This record gives sequence, C-alpha cells and structure tokens, in this order.
Amino acid sequence: MNKIPFRVFALHPKVLLLEWEQQPSDSLLDKLIAFKQILKNQNEVSRCTMGYKSLLVHLTDNFPSLTKFQELLYTLYDSIEVGALSGIHWKIPVCYEETHAPDLNSLANALKKTPEEVIQLHTAATYRVYFIGFLPGFLYLKGLHQELFLPRKSKPLLKVPKGAVAIGGKQTGIYPNESPGGWHLIGKTPLSFFDPKKSPPCFAKSGDWISFDPVSAKAFLKIKEQCIAGKFKISTRG
Amino acid sequence: MVEIIRQGLYTTIQDLGRFEYQEYGVPLSGALDQKAFRMGNQLLNNPKSAAALECSFKGPKVRFHQETSIVLTGAEMQARLNNSPVKNYTPIKVLEGDVLDLGTAINGCRTYLNVAGGFQTEKVLGSRSQYRGITKEERIHKKVLLPTGTSPFVPEKGARVQPPTIDYKNPTLTVYPGPEYHLLKKEQRSQLVQQTLHLSELNDRMAFRIQEKVQHHLPQIWTAAVLPGTLQCSPDGTLILLMRDAQVTGGYPRLLQLTDDALDLLAQKTTRATLRFKLLSLLE
Repeated sequence: MNKIPFRVFALHPKVLLLEWEQQPSDSLLDKLIAFKQILKNQNEVSRCTMGYKSLLVHLTDNFPSLTKFQELLYTLYDSIEVGALSGIHWKIPVCYEETHAPDLNSLANALKKTPEEVIQLHTAATYRVYFIGFLPGFLYLKGLHQELFLPRKSKPLLKVPKGAVAIGGKQTGIYPNESPGGWHLIGKTPLSFFDPKKSPPCFAKSGDWISFDPVSAKAFLKIKEQCIAGKFKISTRG
Repeated sequence: MVEIIRQGLYTTIQDLGRFEYQEYGVPLSGALDQKAFRMGNQLLNNPKSAAALECSFKGPKVRFHQETSIVLTGAEMQARLNNSPVKNYTPIKVLEGDVLDLGTAINGCRTYLNVAGGFQTEKVLGSRSQYRGITKEERIHKKVLLPTGTSPFVPEKGARVQPPTIDYKNPTLTVYPGPEYHLLKKEQRSQLVQQTLHLSELNDRMAFRIQEKVQHHLPQIWTAAVLPGTLQCSPDGTLILLMRDAQVTGGYPRLLQLTDDALDLLAQKTTRATLRFKLLSLLE
C-alpha cells in the first residue's frame, strides 16, 4: 500500500473528516470525486460532502469500529482508478455592459487595465467547479487569471443581485440568488444556478468546467426570457 | 387544517431536515432541538419525519379546523387551549374550532407543536423545513391555513408521559475537539474550555455567536464542508457555533464540535445565557 495521503479525523461519533496534506489541484479533485462516489456506495456511509482538499463522511447506524472502517477507507482509496477527466463544460452567457457591471470600471482601474482587457482575461479562461457551498448553487471556481486578483471591497453590498458575476480575492463566482456580498461585480448572467423545483437543483456539479461567453444587454434579455419559458438550452463543449 | 391567528415571534415548519442536496450547497435545516421534535412524533405515533411547527420565544395562536390530536414538546410556554392550560409532552385531543394560544416561553426557547399525521405543507428537495430561497415562505405568517395529515391516533385518557429531565439552564455543553483545536496554544485552549462564556444577541437558526473572543494566530483553512454544532473561530477571534441552517461549507478554523445532546440544549438558550464547554475525547 502507498503512503496514506490523508488524515482521518473523527469530528463526531458519526462524522469523519478526511483531509489531504497536499494543496488543492485538479488531479486531487478528480481523486476526491472518484473516492466520494465509492464511499457513497458503502453501507457504512449515508452521505459525503466535499471541500477543496477534504471530504466529510457521514456514517450510518451500521457503522462498525473506527479502526476497522479506517482500514476499509485506505483499501478503498488505494483501489481508485481515475480515468479520463469526467464532467461537462458549460458555456455561461455573461453581459459585461455597464448596466450589469457596476464595478467593472473601478476594478479595471485598480488593476491598471482597461475594462476590455478585464473582459478578455475573464472570458479566455476555463474554470473548474471544485464544489458548491456558501449559498445554494454557488460554485467554487478555480482558474481565475492572477492578473485579475483583487481584494474584496472593504464595504460589502447588502444586496448583490441574482446572477451577478464577480471577482473577490483570488476567486470568481456567480451569485445564484440575491444576497449580501463583498465581491466586485463585473457582469451578470441571465441563467439560474439554483432552482429548488428541479432535482438536482443546480445544473453544474463538482468536476465540471465553466467558461464565460460575453453577450450584449439585448441578448441578455432574450436569454432571460427563454430561461423563464424553460426554452433555453445551455451550450456545452465536449 | 390549522389556521394561524397570530404568527408568534419566529415560527417555522421543520422536520428532520434536507439531507440529500448538500453537494449543491443546500443547508441541512430541520428542527433545532431534534430530541424534542422527535419525541413529539413518537408521542403521536407519527412517522419520524412528520413536520411540526417550531415556535421560538413567543408562540403563535392557532385555530383547529378539524378534530385531531396534538402535543407540545421542548420549551415550556404559557400554552392554553380555549383558556385551559396545556402540559408539555402530553398528547391531547382537540376539536374543530378549538383555539390554542402558545403564549411566551418560560423555560427554554423553542417549543414544537405537533399534530397527528404531521403538517402537510409543500415538500421541497425532500423536506418541508422552511428556508429562504428553497421553500416559498421562509416562516409562518398569520392568516395562513396549514394542511395537516390524517392519523388513527387517539390519546389515551389520563395517560401521563414523563417529560424528559433536561435542565435548559445547565450551562455545560459537551464537546469533542475540532480539527484545529490542537493548534491552539495551551492558554487559548484553557480559555475556551475552562471559562464561563455567554451567548451574544446574534443568534438565529444559522449560527449562535459567543460574546467572548479567543485571540489566536490560526491560519484560515481551505474551505471545507461543515456541519451543525461546529464551533468556528473567525480571524478576529469571534466564536461562531453553526446551527442547522448554516451554510454547508466554511473556511474558518474549527475548534470544537458539539455533541448532539449539546446542540439540542443550545437550541433552548438565548442571548446572555452562560455556557461552559466540557471536552470529551472521541476514542472508542
């Protein structure tokens, strides 16, 4: 058996935290996703949730002793075969025009760039969905170009609109619903990232990819209408 | 049907919670005092996931539109059914037109009003627990009619049920060490588990904050999944106890983890309550 790369921490009699030593990376993410699938199929596991470099494993009443289960964990981890990267690449329409991008100019100024250069860098990248948290349907995305890193605003907005596309620190994200927030708002998507009437309630999941497609304010409205009518199909790339 | 005449201070529909959608960022939700909630369903012979009203601090006033059986569990309120006092943990029969006024909590903070067959409000993503952006309403408002289920249950006449002997004023909360607990210095640890602490006025279904701070130099952690009962510590030393509506991930160091009993007990406490953490080890 290889060296065990994660620590097992009993957080609660029925919850184990598995935490990896290495830094988050796409290859670790692929392993976590594969491991999570295997764990979910075990009788001892009721559910399993992810972080950047950790898994929280909730155990069922069938749970045996910790020592026994720990051995099983190591055996299962050793058996993982990460194949070709799975996941869907979603192309997210975003309007970067002024009405939808109240902080684009100030962010560009702070970064000593033109708004066009910011949009170019933001749309050229492909982002990986690491996990969903903070708010229902809020994707933790990795892949923001480092020239777009900017600390959060000192004063958070009480009401960031639903669909706002933003940059905060080293991250970019999409607000799935109206909420308070301290990130710089550089655009807006007409797509809905969380619909409790659907199962699953969010089209994206851990391991997927996202890229942003610039659209005009006019196209934004048209897509929004199509979304409401249930007629918009998000384009994907194979 | 149950008609809400007065909504009370903060009344919500709750059940066991929403378990299957955390990977989409959906909070767990569910009754804050799970033990009291579960006992209500047991006493009425309901399925264990039947939904109840969680009534906080000042309860609602309701009218029953049909004959059914009810039970109150959790905090003791000055409850009256058509002006006669109602005892907690004692199932009673109510008739069409009866009015139940829960009054004010006199011991504890959260009372569960359960009906035979449970409340049959909308089920969203596997649960009836109300949460902003998931259920249509995030709490109960006056004038609404709540549908209830049917059940053959009839309370036994004169049957008395021994209420659980839980002292809601007991400050001791049993805890397990959290993943970053060992990174605290010795004096910080003793500050945390030996001092008497107090709940701040910032306490709701998402999180309860503590008045006292613990100065520390712990680094932020890589955002990870969290669970109710985790005690987090923000960079300025604020201690935050996550409750059942908490977000599913967090990036603050995790110092302690409450036991299930302690989390239920905490649900019955409010602003200025004294707390003392008692550390258990998690060895088998």
